[in-house]
Formats: sequence, C-alpha cells, structure tokens
Amino acid sequence: MNQTLVQFFKRYDFSFLGSMTAIFLVGVLNLYSATHSQTHEGLNLLWKSQIIWFFISITVAVCISFLNPKTFERFSYVAYILTLFLIFLVLLMGKVGMGAQRWLVIGPFRMQPSEFMKMGLVLAMARYFTKVNPERQLGFKELILPGIITLVPTIMVIVQPDLGTGMLLLFIFCMMIFYKRLRWKTIATLGVIGIFSGVLMYNFGLKEYQRKRIHTFIDPYEDAKGSGYNAIQSEIAIGSGRLFGKGFKNSSQASLNYLPENHTDFVFAIFNEEHGFFGSVFLIIIYIVFFMRLIWLASSVQRFYDSVLVIGVMSIFFWHTFINMAMVSGLLPIVGIPLPLMSYGGSSMLTFGVGVGIATSISNSRNFFN
Amino acid sequence: MFGEEELVKIHKDRAVLLSYIITAAFGLVLSRLWYLQVYKGEILHNYSIQNRLRKEVVWAPRGLIYSRDDQLLVDNIPRFDAILTPQFLLDKDETLSKLANIMSMDVQAINNILKKNSNQAKYRPIIVKKNISFEELAQIETQNADLPGISVDTFISREYRDKEIGAHLLGYISEISQVQLPKLRERDKLDYRLGDFIGQFGIEEQLDKYLRGENGHEFVEVDARGRRKRYINTDNLFKGIEDEKPLSGMNVKLTIDRDMQIAAFNALEGKVGGVIAIDIDSGEVLTMISRPSFDPSQFSRGLTPEYWRGLVGNKEHPLRDRNIQEHFSPGSTFKAITGIAAFEEGEIDENTEVNCGGSFRLGRKVYHCWKKEGHGPTTLVKAIRESCNVYFQKAANRMDIDSISKYARAFGMGARTGISLPREVAGLIPTKEWKKKRYGQEWQPGETLSCAIGQSYVLASTIQMATAYAAIANGGKIYRPYVVKDIYDTQGELVKTFTPELLSKIDMKNPKTLKFVREGLFQVVNNPKGTAFYRRGQGILMAGKTGTSQVKSASADKVYAKCENMDYESRHHGLFVGFAPYDNPKIAAAVIVEHGCHGSSAATPVAEAVITQYMKKYHPGMYLQNLEKDKSIRDNWVKSLKPQVKPAADE
Repeated sequence: MNQTLVQFFKRYDFSFLGSMTAIFLVGVLNLYSATHSQTHEGLNLLWKSQIIWFFISITVAVCISFLNPKTFERFSYVAYILTLFLIFLVLLMGKVGMGAQRWLVIGPFRMQPSEFMKMGLVLAMARYFTKVNPERQLGFKELILPGIITLVPTIMVIVQPDLGTGMLLLFIFCMMIFYKRLRWKTIATLGVIGIFSGVLMYNFGLKEYQRKRIHTFIDPYEDAKGSGYNAIQSEIAIGSGRLFGKGFKNSSQASLNYLPENHTDFVFAIFNEEHGFFGSVFLIIIYIVFFMRLIWLASSVQRFYDSVLVIGVMSIFFWHTFINMAMVSGLLPIVGIPLPLMSYGGSSMLTFGVGVGIATSISNSRNFFN
Repeated sequence: MFGEEELVKIHKDRAVLLSYIITAAFGLVLSRLWYLQVYKGEILHNYSIQNRLRKEVVWAPRGLIYSRDDQLLVDNIPRFDAILTPQFLLDKDETLSKLANIMSMDVQAINNILKKNSNQAKYRPIIVKKNISFEELAQIETQNADLPGISVDTFISREYRDKEIGAHLLGYISEISQVQLPKLRERDKLDYRLGDFIGQFGIEEQLDKYLRGENGHEFVEVDARGRRKRYINTDNLFKGIEDEKPLSGMNVKLTIDRDMQIAAFNALEGKVGGVIAIDIDSGEVLTMISRPSFDPSQFSRGLTPEYWRGLVGNKEHPLRDRNIQEHFSPGSTFKAITGIAAFEEGEIDENTEVNCGGSFRLGRKVYHCWKKEGHGPTTLVKAIRESCNVYFQKAANRMDIDSISKYARAFGMGARTGISLPREVAGLIPTKEWKKKRYGQEWQPGETLSCAIGQSYVLASTIQMATAYAAIANGGKIYRPYVVKDIYDTQGELVKTFTPELLSKIDMKNPKTLKFVREGLFQVVNNPKGTAFYRRGQGILMAGKTGTSQVKSASADKVYAKCENMDYESRHHGLFVGFAPYDNPKIAAAVIVEHGCHGSSAATPVAEAVITQYMKKYHPGMYLQNLEKDKSIRDNWVKSLKPQVKPAADE
C-alpha cells in the first residue's frame, strides 16, 4: 500500500500544479498589496475571496488531472456546444456588468461564459484537427471549417460587447493552426492580407466619427477623452519602480488610485512598481518556464489529440499573459484582459485551473496508463 | 497513414518555433519594461512620488436663465474654497494656526475636519472652509509661501438672483447621489459620476440637457508644495495628453416676467399658496409663484444639514409646488364650468330663474347654500355673481355628471396640461365610469350636486383653472401652457424656440353661453353685490370667480360657522380664478391660498397684484382707460348706495 502511494507520487506530475501555485502566491500577495489600503467597502478584502477561488480552482484542477485524456476527446464538441449555448444565454438575458453583458447570474453565482468559451474552443479545435487529415498541412481550404468553429463564438463575444475576449479567441485559433502546420505560404498571404486590409480599413474605410463610434460601441463606459490617461498612470507606476521597486505594500497608491481596475487588469503595473525590473524578470521567467514545460509536453505525448490540446491550453495562458503585460506597459491599447492567476477574478481563475488540470492529466497519462 | 506518435513528431518543429515566438514576445515586454523602468525610470519615479500629473475636471459653465424681458434670473458666480492637501503639509501646527488666524476659525475646528477625512489618501485635498471671502482669498494667496499645503479652489456656484422668488419654477441643481446614479445613467445613457451636478427640480431639471454643457478637463502638474500649474508636455513623455475646454451650457429665456414674479411673491407674503398667470392668447406662463419657498442656491453647494432640516421639518412643505404639483377642490371657481355645461346643454338660458331658499333637498339630504336666508329668484349672472349654490345644484340636477365632466374636460381639466415641467398632477374630473372602476359603486345623484359646485371628487390645479378661465376669456381656445420661450447657444444663436400650441378650440353651440358666463364673472368683481367687489383693484377691470375649498367636510351644525374661528388646519382654502381686462382679455390668473378661509379676502388680492403689475408694464394705455371705467363703476355704486345695500359677504 505504502509502496503504491510512493509510486503514485513519483509518477504524478506536480510541475503544473506547482507553477500554478507559485504564480498564484505571487499574485495574491500582489493583490493584497494593491488593495489593502483601499477604503472602498469590500475592495480591501478581495484577496481573501481570491484565495477561496484558488482553492476551488486547484481542487477542480486536481479532479480533472485524474481523468483519462480520452474523456476530453470524447466530450470536446459537447463542451464547445455547451459553452456556446451559455454565451447565447448571456446575450439573451445577460446582466449588465461593467456596461457589457458578460455575466450570467445563476443563484448566487455570476459566471462569465466567455471565459469558458476559450476552453470550449480549444477542445473542439483539438478534436477537429485530430480527426480530419491530421497529417496534412493546412491551406486555405482546410481552414474553412475550423474558421467557422472559431468565428461563431468570436462574433457572439464581440457583440456582448467584449472585444478583448473576441480577439483572444482569434489569437488562440491562430496559434493552434500555426502548430497544426499551417503552410508558410498561407501564413504569409494571411499576414499580408490582414495587415493590409486592417490598415486600409482603419485609415480610409472609416471616417473619424465612425472610428470613434466603433470605439464607444466596443466599450461605452470607457472615458473616450481620457482613455490615454489610464495607460499613462500605468506607465508612471511601472516606470517609478525602476530596477528594484519600491517594495511590498509600497506602491504609491497615488498613481494607482486612478486606475479603475487596479485589482484586475492592472495588477502587473502594481507588481512592477513594487518590485521593479528585476521583480518582473523573475515573474516573467516563471511564466516562461510554465509555457516551455507545456510545449515540451505537447511534443512528448503519444496521442496527437493530447498534443494539440496542450498547445491550445498553452495558447490561452500565453495570450492572456502577453496581451496583459503588453497593454499595461503601453505596447498595446487597453483591452480588458486579465493576467493569468494574478488578476482578481473567479471565472478566469477557474479556466486556468481547468487548463492546469488538463495538462496534468495528459502528462500523467504517459506515466500511469502505459 | 501516420501513427499517433509520428504525428506528434512531425509537429515538433512547429513546437520549437512556438517556443521561440513566446520567448521573443516576452523579450519585447521586458525591453519595454527596461525602457520604462531604467531609461525613463527617474522621471517617472518623480511623477509618481507626488502624483505630479493630475487630470482635473473643468466644469462647464451652466447655461443662464433669463426672464421674458431679458432680466437675469439664474447666474453662475465663482466662489472660493480654502483647501488643504495633507501630503504637502510641512509643519502642521504652524500652518494650521496661521490658517485659523486668516479665516478666524478655531484650530480645533480645522483639526476636526482633518480627522474626519483622515482615512482618505494624503494627496486628496480636503475642503477646510467653503465660500471664503475675497479678503480671505487674498490673504491665502499672498501668504502662499508660508502656507505649504493650503490652496484655494475655485468653484462656480449656481446663484438664483431672487433667492426664494420662483424657486419652484426655476428648480435647483445638486450633486447626483449614490441612489440616483444608476437610474440617471440608464435614463440619459450618459456616464455620470458621483458628485456631478444635475438639475433636480423645475426648469433646471426639465432643461438639464440644454443647460448643462459639457465638462472639459485639463492636466495639471503639482509641485512639491501642492501648487498647481498647467502641465506642458515639453518632454513628450506621454502621448494623448491634451486639455479639453469645457463647452458652456445653453442659455434659456423664459416666458416668465420678473417684475410680476416679485409682485406675486410679495402678495403672497405670510400666506401659504400659489399663483399662476398666463397669457390667454398663447398659453405663455407669466408668473408662477408658490410659497413658502426655499433658496435654490443652497442646493448647489451641498445643503447644510440645518437648512435641509428646516425645509423638511416645515409643516407647510416649502419644497412642494402649489401650482402644478398639487391639486385641490376648485370649489365655487368650478361653477363657471357647471354654468357653461347647463347653458350649452339647453337646461338653462340667461333668463332662467331659480328660486334659492337657502337650501335644496334631494331625497333625504339637504344641500345648503352658503347664504342661510337664500338668494331668492336667481338668474345665471346673479348666481355667478353671488355664488349661489342652489342655482347650480338645481341646474346640475337636470343633467348628469357625465355632461358636466364633458365640459370640464373640454376646458382642460382632469388631465395634465402638458406644461413642460416635471411632476405635474392631473387633477380629477369624475365620471360614472370612473367611479365604477375606482370604487365599484354606482354614481349617486347627490354627488353630482356636490361636484357641480367644485367639491366632492373634483380636483384641479391652479394651472388647470387658469387655462380653463383663459379659454372662457378667449372664446374657447385651449393653449398648452409653457414656460420656456427660447434657447440660445453661447454665441447667442437661437437653438430652439417655442411657439404657442393650440390644443383645441371648444365648439360652442350657443353663442350666448360665454357671453353670460363672462358677464357673471365680471359682476363678481365689479358689481357691488359681487363676492369680490371690494378687492377689485384699480385699472385692471378684472373678471373672475372666488371660491373656497373645504379641507374637511363640515358637519351640519358647522356649515355656517365662521371660518376664522376654526383651528388653522381645518380652515378652508381660499381661491380666486379670473382674467383681465374684461372687455379685452389679455391675462388669466389662478390663486390658491391654503387655509385662507375666503377666496375674496385671501386669494383675490394676489391676483389683483399680479394683474395690476402686468397691466402697468405691458398695457399702460389700457390701464389708464380702465382707471376711467373703474371710476364710473364706482360712481354708479356710490349713487346706488342711498337705498341701503347690504354689502355682499364672502360666500
């Protein structure tokens, strides 16, 4: 009995759960630091509910890790359809939260189905690419059906309106088809077409007021005149951290009280302010290790479905991390994308928990089932 | 076909590429962080320690409000607050004592204010004293160097020049409360913030979207002592920093006359009630006053608790508007409508004589006339003049309530006039169907008799009564009353103009109807036997009707009790509705004086004051002619005095 338990612990892959916990710990300390001095009722207690969400999420992750990956394959489309249906429900009767219909309220719970949509999409894509000519390189023709699978939820999410998550779905799709050997020729053509039409559309296709209108449509509550201001405050916060940062709990609230989302989208700015450049290097290295470990896993599994699925999970994590960091530091415009395991938010934490659970399960399957 | 493991293997080069892409992406992020934290680190650090860069709202000046004769009614006046920013305090005790000295305040008092705000961020300014004088302002500014952390905040205050005069019409602005915020956001689809000002009452509320303008913002740099200066983007550190000038609100010109407002306000001195006067050929509201009143300026700076308690605790409800937001039994002023109904329906004509013996019995119930001994044989004109209840009750008894209601409604009663002011009440004109629906009971013939003299279910507001009497004066034309004439933008360009809106023209079957009703109304004021003869004024040749509105239904033994002897709460409301001049009508007015006992003594003088002001100002020629006519009326009366005439008492 004891022998089996030791065997189990030897074979069980704790690396993903470990990375998740590590990032979470950094995140919750940072969240505490960012919000502890908030006078706003409830805001200074967010870190507590973040801990609760973490325990829920890691429990989900551990449970999922015991599932056979074949189960994911079997229920891929079901999961896709289910999440799509939830998005549809949100559109139908969504409650206005943050000026956008992103929440679904079931009893005491508020869900953000667009979070789960990412996982649903990844599952469906993995399934599709495994079944339909898995060995062939992808060209335009092969992209039609997966394109539709992606575009339907993307458009629905953008209509909510949640442009950020919509774009994220597209980016995840792109990364997955890249892995599924999209032809270089197609990549080049798509890239050229994309950039060209985008630039053309923005500069000539739209009039100034239309651009503005689209902007306000996407996020009506955003202060259009001052949209640069959040970004500026964020940059001041980051820059003021300099090499070593101001230290834990020393974020000069000054600049960050102006950031309306300093517990969600802008946590990275606070982290930078308090821990400086070296702190960020440390944090980014944890993330990179996590991603590399996932990519390595994708190349060392025996089943192709598992491989594509792991790349999909990795894409979700990667795009969140990259877009959030890039927007907070002023490389990209501000869209509401949280930083995985660092930003406050139950739905997003749960999604990442599911991702970690899937990765662990796939990793374990190499050791347990063979 | 490939085996599963081969499949994974052939994708391995893409996996490797992905790891490069990811590394490169984070390389990009890190280089950006390097740029911000190392290359720009020092500068940004300086910005952050004092939060040097701030975005401040520049409030849009709210539109001004003018009277019809271009007198300024509502203005914006800069006011100054002394503020303290704890972050910049160097020697707290010294600074505070200096400050206390300048503002003749107690140091302890300032300390208390600071303590109250101690849990907010240190860079947030705290208001130490609102509305400081120019002297205090000058002292703070000149001693600036010795007062680190103290500065002066400019605030544009909304000032209502005539204070309490016309407060209910003009309304007030105040900060959006936590409770209102989501509702208003939903209503206007605008991103209001807590602390934004918005019109909450009267014209300020109704025309808020025109008056409010659009706030701007400016970027301000704060130095180490808390002094502010405009941010000048010299080092090109940030993109997208641009000041935006506020857009002033639009100016509004009302139909209201300021001098008449003042006259009306003074006439209502010491009384509780309201008066409204309208131009009978357009529906323009010339005067709208309700008392007791309040000073709307108080609201724009955040009410002091004492002032608010004073308003809410006042039994007379100063915040309530008596003209459009309240209705009451119109009493005898309604008799003109009953008369018109009976005349039009052919139940009476000018010669119909009804004998008033002081009471009228229907079934088992006795309906008393206000004159115990009765009016004797009475015609329509006499009945109006002397306000005989029995005449109108007998006339009403021949019709049914629905016929009376038809005419009342035609004259604009029982429904909102649609004056463009918030929270207008509809009044009530009952019908059989209404009662069935409301109470599930059949209409009683006795109720018709009460309604015929404006009691029972009948309810009306002064604006409705004025509109109805305007129609009697102008031949049956119902205009929608309105208070806003023009809206101008800041350049003085006309943006919107409001013109008279003819709602309906009542089709009179009998050309004699209005003639004799008007004759009756004229005699009320200008015949020695009329109920308002002694309040007729000079030079206005007013026609009208007095009335009392019973607050509590009097028991039989108290029907003839003297109103002044009752306790205040039970006294009748006094009413007067009329128009002037009789032979060339221009203006209609309606007055209510709560617990004023009599229409004649309490309400009529108010109408007289307003109309006199109007005639003198707008029709001085006619005013002089009327003085002559008044003289002959007076002479005739003096002549007729020889045979003893008992002066008509109030009904």
